[in-house]
Amino acid sequence: MSCPKTQHLLQEYFSDGLTPLAKKEIENHLNSCEQCNDEFEFFLLAHSNMKGWKDQSVPHWDRGLELFKREHRSEKESMGFWGRWQLVPTAISFVMLCVLLLNVSVISGERGFFVSFGANSSNLQLQYQLAEIQEQYLVEMDTLVNQVGEWLDSNNVQVLQVVMERTREATMENLDLIYTYFEQQRLRDLEDMRISYQELVDSDYETIRSLQQLARFVSYQDDAVR
Amino acid sequence: MGLINEDEALIAAALKGSAYAWEKLVKRYESRIFNYGVRITGNTSDAMDLTQEVFLGIYRNLHRFRGDAKFSSWIFRIAHNKAVDINRRKRLTTTLAHTNNDEPDFLETIADDNRYEPDKKLVDQQANSRVISMLARLSLEQRLVIELKVYQSLTFEEIADMQGVSANTAKTRFYTALKKLKAVSEENNVLS
Repeated sequence: MSCPKTQHLLQEYFSDGLTPLAKKEIENHLNSCEQCNDEFEFFLLAHSNMKGWKDQSVPHWDRGLELFKREHRSEKESMGFWGRWQLVPTAISFVMLCVLLLNVSVISGERGFFVSFGANSSNLQLQYQLAEIQEQYLVEMDTLVNQVGEWLDSNNVQVLQVVMERTREATMENLDLIYTYFEQQRLRDLEDMRISYQELVDSDYETIRSLQQLARFVSYQDDAVR
Repeated sequence: MGLINEDEALIAAALKGSAYAWEKLVKRYESRIFNYGVRITGNTSDAMDLTQEVFLGIYRNLHRFRGDAKFSSWIFRIAHNKAVDINRRKRLTTTLAHTNNDEPDFLETIADDNRYEPDKKLVDQQANSRVISMLARLSLEQRLVIELKVYQSLTFEEIADMQGVSANTAKTRFYTALKKLKAVSEENNVLS
């Protein structure tokens, strides 16, 4: 026998915001109705079994990072002042490719610019271009030689000035040294001479004294003989 | 900082191009979404497809998230829609495959998945297999209502809003799902 209240009661039991009074009423009915109670017990068991789920670990994956980085990189590159200049190298490459493919030659001279397409540019133009290049080359070489000559000359004068200055300084130092040496030598010679004269005078004095003593002795002897 | 505020900070940073913020945001929810997928689809391969599709959907629509609802609710709304899509695609594939008689049925797919996880603890494996076996007997709508009520703890109003039905219908689906589980259980007991 089935209870007509089962569905409603169990729906309400699992509803949100069940008031304590309503919960009490449901529990009272469950205690008195075996059919509802069986159903309720099973529901709790099933709920408990389902809550027994153990979370499985997520297999390795890149978490969409590649896509994220790629899209944000391209977004950043397309924005800003520098982003607008990113096509410049491509444009230059394209122009150069066109020049190569169409074999465009542009010749500038005193008579203006010559632009020709294809490989059949005339020999006259080439010769004219060659002569201009040679002339330009010679002028540049002359200018260069003159510049080198001027540079060498100025360099030599500077070197000579430096050498002469250094030689003059060295000579003055040497002369000073020689003068000092001679002066010292002169003073030493004067001293030596003074000492020699003094010794000579002393010697003469001693000689005179000896002669005086000899004279006195001879005089004494003469007196004794007499 | 609370989890919700942290979510909002990560979303703002990800919208400015921070790959680190995006990865952190994904890491916070990938396990919940993946396990949701395993319970709904019954196998890890489809669950992984679901996870990737959900996060791709989040990435594409992140700028539309206004913070009116919780980020987790928004994610599970996307997951719910993707689960319905995958189920529709799979039903179509299964119908085509059944004509060739070479497609394993739902429970066989679960067994195959378990075989590829030999290092998982036996107890956990049995508990999860039991849950998947039970859910496998339900329709997608019933599976989703059980998932959202039991595992995501949503209110019947939230479930109804997500499924585009009334709260009473959501309650009825929940009750019907439980009744069906009881019938299956009794049937198994009789057979065993």
